[in-house]
Amino acid sequence: MATLGVRQARGAGGSVSLGEWIGRHLLQIVVYAILILFGMIFLLPFYWMVISSLRPMSEFYQFPIPLFPHHPSLENYRLLFERSLFGRGMLNSAFLSVVSVLLQVFFSALAGYTFAKLRFRGREPLFLGLLATMMIPMGVGMIPNYLIMAHIHWIDTYWPLILPPIANAFGIFWMRQYCLSVPNELLDAARIDGAGEFGIFWRVVLPIIQPAVASLAIFIFLSTWTDFLGPLVYLRSEQLYTVQLWLSVVARQGNVGQPAVVMAGSVLASIPIVILFATMQRRFIAGLTAGSIK
Amino acid sequence: MAALERAYRPKGISYRLDRWWRVAAPYTFISPFYLIFLAFGLLPIAFSLIVSLYDWNGITPGGFVGLDNYRVLLQDPEFYTALFNTVYVWLGSVPPMVLLALVFASILNSSLVRFRGLFRTVYFLPVVTSLVITGLIFSQLFSTSFGLVNSALAVFGLPPINWLSDPAWMKLTLILALLWRWTGNDMVIMLAGLQNIPGELYEAARVDGAGPLQSFFRITVPLMRPVILFDLIISTIGTFNLFAEPYVLFGPDGGMDEAGLVTGTLLYQNSFVYFKFGYGAAIAWVVALIIFALSMLQLKLGGREPD
Repeated sequence: MATLGVRQARGAGGSVSLGEWIGRHLLQIVVYAILILFGMIFLLPFYWMVISSLRPMSEFYQFPIPLFPHHPSLENYRLLFERSLFGRGMLNSAFLSVVSVLLQVFFSALAGYTFAKLRFRGREPLFLGLLATMMIPMGVGMIPNYLIMAHIHWIDTYWPLILPPIANAFGIFWMRQYCLSVPNELLDAARIDGAGEFGIFWRVVLPIIQPAVASLAIFIFLSTWTDFLGPLVYLRSEQLYTVQLWLSVVARQGNVGQPAVVMAGSVLASIPIVILFATMQRRFIAGLTAGSIK
Repeated sequence: MAALERAYRPKGISYRLDRWWRVAAPYTFISPFYLIFLAFGLLPIAFSLIVSLYDWNGITPGGFVGLDNYRVLLQDPEFYTALFNTVYVWLGSVPPMVLLALVFASILNSSLVRFRGLFRTVYFLPVVTSLVITGLIFSQLFSTSFGLVNSALAVFGLPPINWLSDPAWMKLTLILALLWRWTGNDMVIMLAGLQNIPGELYEAARVDGAGPLQSFFRITVPLMRPVILFDLIISTIGTFNLFAEPYVLFGPDGGMDEAGLVTGTLLYQNSFVYFKFGYGAAIAWVVALIIFALSMLQLKLGGREPD
C-alpha cells in the first residue's frame, strides 16, 4: 500500500530514466526529512523534561540554555521527596490504579461474556442501551455527582474515584467483541461437566480472553494513573493526593516549586507509563483503534 | 455419579435452584453496570437539570429561580470570553491536527517506508503522557526567563516573548501543546481507517499516471471521509472539555486577561472554586448543547457527497 507513492520500480520492467530516478528519490528524501524533523519535534519535550530534572539550581537560569547540563545531579529528586509527600502520592496512584484495573476488568469481562455468550430475554435492547450510554455527555453529571458524594460523606475518600468508573460501557463492549470468538463447544462441554455459570466464566472463559484483558487493563491503568479532574475535585487531604495532583500542587508551591523539581516529579510520574507502553505497545495501540472504530 | 443421581431427581431443591440460577445468572452478571450507571450516571444527569434551576450555592439548595442561571449565563461576558477562546483554540488546533494526522498516517501506512514502527511510536508517545505533565513541560519550554523557546529566539537575536502571560501569545502556546499531545492519537485512528482501503486502488492510480499527491487527494481523502469526520467530532468534544492543560499552563482563572480561560475552566471555577453549583450546572448544559450542535453540523456538512 503505497499511499504517498513512495515506491520504487521493481523487477525487469524497472528501467527508468535518470530524471525519473532522481524524482523518485527526491520524494523519498523529502518524506524521510519530514518524518525525522517531526520526530525530533515530538521527542524534544521529553528530552527537555529529563534534562531539566537533572540540571542543578546553579545552572537553571543560564542564558542561552545549554542543551546538556554541565554538572548533572539528582539534587532535584532529593528535594522533591524532602519537601513534599510525592512518594506517598506515587503509592496512592498505584493503589488506585491497581484497584480500578481489577474491579473494572472483572466486571467488564463478566458482563462482556454474558452479552456475547449467554442467551436471555432483553439482551439486545439492554446492550443497545449500554452502547447509548457512551454518547451521554458526562460533564453534566459532574456537579450532581459531587453533591451526592458530599451527601453520603464520600468527599475526601477514594470511593468517588473507584466506584462510578466500574460502570465501564467501553470495557464491556470491548470484552464482548473478544468473547464472541470463544467457541461455543467449549462452553457446552464445561456445562455438561457440571460447571456452574460463574465457574464457566472464571475457569474457562477468563483464561482464553487474556489478550483482551491485558489491553483493557493497560487502558484502565493509564486513564486512572493520569486522571486529574477527579482527584482535584474529590480529594482534600494531602495524604490522599494522587501523583497528578501532587504535580500540579508542587508546581504552584513557592518553596518546593522550582521548575527543575517539578520536572523531576514529571519524570518519576512518567516511568510506570513508559514501562507499560514499552512492554505492551502493540496491545495498547490495538486497543485504542478498536475503541474508536467499530 | 453425583451428577447422574441429581439427574434422576428432577424435583429436588438443588434442581430448582439450578434452573432458577440459569435464568437469573445473566441478569446478575450484567447488573453491576446498570446499577452503578443508574446511580452515578443517569440520575445525576437528570438531577443536574434540576440543580441548574436553583440558586444552589454550597451543599444545600437555595430557592428555585427557574431559568435565571441560564439568563445570567447568556449575559455573562466571562462566558463569551471562554467561548471565544475555546472556539479560537478549536479552529487553531483541530484542522491542522487532523491534516497532520492524515499525512503522517498515509506515509506510515506505506510498506515502502522504513522504520515505520519506530516513527509511529515516536509520534504516539505524547498520547500516553498525562495532561498535567504536558502542561508542565510546555510551561517550561515556553517560560519567559528560562524556556528553551525563548533561548532559541535569543540565539537568533530575537527578543523574548511572554508565551504564558501575553494574551496575544497564550492561545498559540496552548494550541502547540494540544498539537503535540493529540496528533498521535488522531494518527492511530487514521491508520486503522487506512487499513480498509485496498492497495489495488493506489496501484491502479499509479498505472494511470497519478502522482503521490493526486493519489492522496483523489483516493485517500475521499475514502477516509468517515474516519476524518469521526476524528473531527472527537477532537471537537475534546476541545470543549479541555481543562487540565490550560489549568496547568495559565492557572485556574485563565491567566492574564482571561486569555487562557476555556469553557472547561469556567465550569470548574464556578462549580468547585466558588461552589455556585446551580450556575455551574447551567454552564455544563449549555456547553453540552454546543458540543451536540457542532457535532451535528459536522455530520451534516461532512456526510454530504462531494459534487
